[in-house]
Amino acid sequence: MHILVYGVINSITLSLISLGFALVYSISRVPNFAHGALYITTGYIVWLFINKITGFPYLLAIILGISISGIIGALIYRLILIRIRGMEISEIIATYAIGVAILEGLRWGGLRGMTFTLPVFISGSTEILGVTVDFQRIVVVVCGALTFLFLYFFTHHTRVGLALRGIAQDERAAMMLGIDSDLTAILSLAIGSALAGFAALLLLPLGNIIVEAGYSVLIFAVAVCVIGGLGSLLGTVIASFIIGFAQILTDKYLSTHYQMVVALLAIIITLIVKPSGLFGKQKELEERV
Amino acid sequence: MRRLIGSLLIISFLFFTGSYSYSAEKPITIGAPLATAFLYGWVAERGIKLAVEEINAKGGVNVAGKKRSFKVEVIDTRDLEPGVPVSEALLAVEKLILEKKADFLIGGPVRSEAALAAMDIVSKYKKISIITTGVLTPLLTQKVVENYDKYKYTFRNTNHVGNMMKEFITFLDEIQKPFGFKSAYIMVQDVEHARRGGEVMKKALSEKGWEVIDMKIYPTGTTDYSVGLADAKNKGADILFLWMDMPESAILLKQWSDLKMKALPIGFVCAAEQPGFWKATGGKGEYLIVNVVNGGNAPGNITPWTIKFVDAYKKRWGLEPEGYGTSSSYMAVYQLKEAIEKAGSIDSEKVVTALEDLDMVGVYGRMKFDNKSHQIIPSFNPKEGAVTCIFQWQAGNRVQVFPSTVAQGKVMLPPWVKR
Repeated sequence: MHILVYGVINSITLSLISLGFALVYSISRVPNFAHGALYITTGYIVWLFINKITGFPYLLAIILGISISGIIGALIYRLILIRIRGMEISEIIATYAIGVAILEGLRWGGLRGMTFTLPVFISGSTEILGVTVDFQRIVVVVCGALTFLFLYFFTHHTRVGLALRGIAQDERAAMMLGIDSDLTAILSLAIGSALAGFAALLLLPLGNIIVEAGYSVLIFAVAVCVIGGLGSLLGTVIASFIIGFAQILTDKYLSTHYQMVVALLAIIITLIVKPSGLFGKQKELEERV
Repeated sequence: MRRLIGSLLIISFLFFTGSYSYSAEKPITIGAPLATAFLYGWVAERGIKLAVEEINAKGGVNVAGKKRSFKVEVIDTRDLEPGVPVSEALLAVEKLILEKKADFLIGGPVRSEAALAAMDIVSKYKKISIITTGVLTPLLTQKVVENYDKYKYTFRNTNHVGNMMKEFITFLDEIQKPFGFKSAYIMVQDVEHARRGGEVMKKALSEKGWEVIDMKIYPTGTTDYSVGLADAKNKGADILFLWMDMPESAILLKQWSDLKMKALPIGFVCAAEQPGFWKATGGKGEYLIVNVVNGGNAPGNITPWTIKFVDAYKKRWGLEPEGYGTSSSYMAVYQLKEAIEKAGSIDSEKVVTALEDLDMVGVYGRMKFDNKSHQIIPSFNPKEGAVTCIFQWQAGNRVQVFPSTVAQGKVMLPPWVKR
C-alpha cells in the first residue's frame, strides 16, 4: 500500500514540476531552461511577501507570486526570445543563461541557508489505506489532478487554448487564420511560468526554498518530458508516473542510492528505443526517415 | 589666537605622526578560502571577521614590539556547490597567496577533497593554513603525520569523523539505558564523509550490542524519505541515525514529525544547525539531536569565553552562532595571534613551532594541537581539550545535552513516545 500511495504522490509531484515546461515547448517550441529558476523565484517572492510585510495574507501572496512568475515568463519571451525565435541552440543557451542568472542572482541577493520555508496549507496528517500521509501531500495530489484537468479543458474548449493548439500543430496555417504567433508564444511562456510558480507553492512547503532546487527541478522536468515526448501533455503525465513509481520501487526493493540511476536509465532506454519519447508525435516522421 | 592655532597644529602633527607610526606597520593578511554561499563558509567568514575586529580594536598583534593589525581577504571557493571541481578551490587558495599576498590561511577549502589537494599548495608556498570548517576527513592530519616536513604548515582546530563517532557512541551509551534503546536505523547522504560515517557507525553500534536494522543511502537532493521512514517505523527502530549536509534533510525531519515516529533522530544534520531551523520547520524539528562538532557553535557555557563569544557574535551579526565552523574560525585567529606574538615574527617556520607549543583556553575548552598530526586534541572535559557540542532542539532552543561536563539540559523524548 505504501508503494501505491507514495508512488501516486511522487508521480503527481513530478508531473506538477514538468507540466509548465511541457506546455511551453508544445506550443512555442521554446525549451524554457529558466523553468527551475522561475520555480524558486516564485517561492522566494511569496516568502518575501509573508515575511517582510507584517500581516500580509498568504493567499494574496500566492496569487501575486504566481502572477509575477507569469509576467516574468512573458517578459523573457517579449524582451529576449522573440529575437532568436526558431534558432533552437540560441533559445537553449539564452533560457539556460537567464535561469542561471536568476538563480545565482537570488543566491547573491541573500537566498542562502536552509531557513527559507513556506507554511503548509493544512498542517497535520491522516491515514490513507493504512499509510500515514500529511495533508499537504494530499493537497499536492488534488491540485495536480485539477491542474491537468484544467489544462485539458483550457486547450480543448477555450478560444485561446484552441489558438495555442493551432499554433502548436501548424504555425503557418494558424497564422493564415489570423492567430498571432508571437502573442501565443508570450501566452505560453506566461502560462508555463505561472505553472512553475504554482508547482513551487504546492511543493516548497514540504521542504525549503534553496537555489539548488532550481537546478534539480529543471533536470527532472527535462527527464520527464524526454521520456513522455517533448510537447505532449499526456506523455508528460504518463512519464511522471513511470519515473515516480520506478523511484519508489527502487527505494523499496533495491536501494535509495539507485533512484537517480533508474531515472537516467529510463531516459537512455527511451532515447534508444523511441527518441521522440512515448507520445512525441512531431518527430516520428523524421525518425522513420 | 596665534598660540591657539600653533598648539592645534602641534597637536594635529603629533596625532597624525603618532597614528601614522601605528598604521605604517604593514597589516598581517589572513586569507580565507571559503564557500561563502553555504553555511559552513559564511559562518567561518563571520567568525574570522569578528575575531579580527576585536583584536584590531585592542591595538592589533604585537610582533616583536611592533603593533600590526590583521586584514582579511576572502575568496569564494565554491567547493560546496555540486559539480564544482576541486581545481576551482585550489585556484582560490593560490590567488590568495600570490595576488592577495596572504601571510596565513584560515578557514577552508571547505570540502575534504579540496582541502586535501590544497595541502600541496600550502606546503609549496610555506604558508600556514588552519583548517576550521567543513573538512571532517581524518586523512588531513594523517597526511601531516606521514610526511611532517612537507605538510607541517597545515593545522586543524576542529574535529574529524573519527572523533565524532567516538562522541556519538559515548552519547548513545549514556542514553541507551535510561530510555531502553536497542535498535538503530541509519540514513545517510550519498557523499564520501556521510557514507563513511554511516558505515563506521553501523560497525560501532553493532559491536556495542545495538541492532542495526538497515542503512539507507540517499542521493543528494532527495525530496522524499517516506519509504525509509516507514520501514524504520514498521521495524520498531529506537533511534534514527542521520548524516546529511544537504538542505533537503529538512524534508526528512518534517516527514519524521508527520509520521509521529518513536525513533529519536540523532546525527550530523547541517540543515538543523542554524538558529532559524526550528521556526523554518514550524516546530517539526523539535527533539532532533545534532552534533555541531565544536562547542560554541550553539549557545553554551563551556568556558567563560563561550558566553562572551556568543554575546559578541549576537551583537555583531544579529543572531546566535549559526553552526559548525563558527567558533573554530573565530578561535583560529586568536590562536594565530598568540603564536605570532610568541614567535615574535610572522615567519612560517617560527609560527609553526609556536602553534605546536601553544596551549590556551578558548571558546570550546583547552586548545592544544597534537605536535605530530597538528590536530586539535579533543576531550569531553574542557580543562583537558577541545569540547564538542551535541544539542537537542527543545522548545525552539538549541540546548547542549552532551558532553555531560558542560551540558545545559537533558535529552527529552517526544510526547508520543512512551518509555
